[in-house]
Amino acid sequence: MSPQTSTDTVKAEAGKHPLEASVVECRTLSKHYGDVVAVDRISFSLEPGTVTGFLGPNGAGKTTTLRLLLGLAQPTSGDALVFGRRYRELEHPLRQVGAVLESSDYHPSRSGRDHLRSLALAADLPPSRVEEVLELVELRNAAGRRVRTYSLGMRQRLGVAAALLGDPDLLVLDEPSNGLDPAGVRWLRTFLRGLAAKGRSVLVSSHLLAEVAQTVDQVLIIDHGRLLAQGSLNELTGTGQTLEDVYLELTEGEPA
Amino acid sequence: MIGQLRSELLKQRSTQTTLFLFLAMVGFVALAVTMHVIALSPARLSTNAHQLDVFQIGTRAAMIFAGLAGALAITAEIRFGTIRPTFLVEPRRSPVLAAKLAVGGLVGIFYGLLAEGLMAAAATIAFSLRGIPNELTGGDYTRILLGGAAAGALWGILGVGVGALVRNQVATLVGILAWMFLVESVSEGFVPGAAKLMPGGAGLSLAGNEHKLSLAVAAALLIAYAAAASAAGWLATLRRDVA
Repeated sequence: MSPQTSTDTVKAEAGKHPLEASVVECRTLSKHYGDVVAVDRISFSLEPGTVTGFLGPNGAGKTTTLRLLLGLAQPTSGDALVFGRRYRELEHPLRQVGAVLESSDYHPSRSGRDHLRSLALAADLPPSRVEEVLELVELRNAAGRRVRTYSLGMRQRLGVAAALLGDPDLLVLDEPSNGLDPAGVRWLRTFLRGLAAKGRSVLVSSHLLAEVAQTVDQVLIIDHGRLLAQGSLNELTGTGQTLEDVYLELTEGEPA
Repeated sequence: MIGQLRSELLKQRSTQTTLFLFLAMVGFVALAVTMHVIALSPARLSTNAHQLDVFQIGTRAAMIFAGLAGALAITAEIRFGTIRPTFLVEPRRSPVLAAKLAVGGLVGIFYGLLAEGLMAAAATIAFSLRGIPNELTGGDYTRILLGGAAAGALWGILGVGVGALVRNQVATLVGILAWMFLVESVSEGFVPGAAKLMPGGAGLSLAGNEHKLSLAVAAALLIAYAAAASAAGWLATLRRDVA
């Protein structure tokens, strides 16, 4: 992170030294679409260097929460902060937060390399960084091909490459293992654990519990827009239950 | 801001869209030359005004294709979802819109010069082959090229603004085509007094038809349309959530 010298009001409010601000913090975050409550007064905060699983059934509000966090949508009420600020107020968002939202966010007739170059230009990152992230996700050989020829796994890795362009301190991934083959899933798991080992933080949404249990340190469980549980894997499964038991108990106990 | 501009220019260069639009425009001009220059009797091509009307098909092509290119610059991002990574890089969104408007204008100049140049060259050659005396002056040619470039630039900006407002790609493209081929064409026949004040009508006057609107009025009108569309698209982009 860049050294912070300014007297930042948001951080002063939080009563913390800038460098101690939570990586992610949601304060009674809500999002309504008409009468539908997609996110319902969610509050949580994440500390640096952890891999957090964001769990919940389809339609639970995971994706909406992540979009609020990333400034793509405006909260109806409450705050979603990254490094103590709203995403829109970050000075170099790509250098602080990397996000992989959907595996299909590409123009099909643009090459993978040009996709990354267009983002790097907009973020004032050098072209050499594009080659570095291509190498990192093992896509160098396919980088000149149009994305329409990519397999789902290759698209996911291109998304990860885009998220890593700015060498961010926080990585946010929405359902990254969807459609990945076993080798791809293992690659992703090793990759995320490696990032956390270097002190980076990861927030990853998923409904693949077995996969999550092998990858994350802590989980957030959400359903019908509400946060049902938060804690480390050990805390939640301390009574001898598996993550699946805990998850199903919580999410099925909810009225539909 | 320079980075945003270079990013937008790369997006224009790195897909096949520009090539397809270019080929479609060449086809459009070829069809127009066949219908109006080759098929019309010499009597209907005898005066400067008649010939200018034929040459102005180039201006129509310039405006249509500049508008489509501008609209695609934003609606393709929304359709394919690349708007998400684009806004993650620049969450304030305004610089993205500014770069798209600038590139929409640049691409519009490109289509303006190209469409007018192609049409003027094809029509000039066709007149000469048919032995029809060319009544256009050098000033007419200059006006057609420069006016076409200006009309293209403003229509490119208009296209970005409308695309940002409407967002749906098919609706935007069909809307632009329907506006030009239905609303403006029909108005030209039935209410010419209103048609000359419309965005397409103003563009035609900008590139030659001085007997309808003066250069100053035509320019002011088209600039106002482009500014209004940009402002509406800009506000909508800042306020709306990205799906």
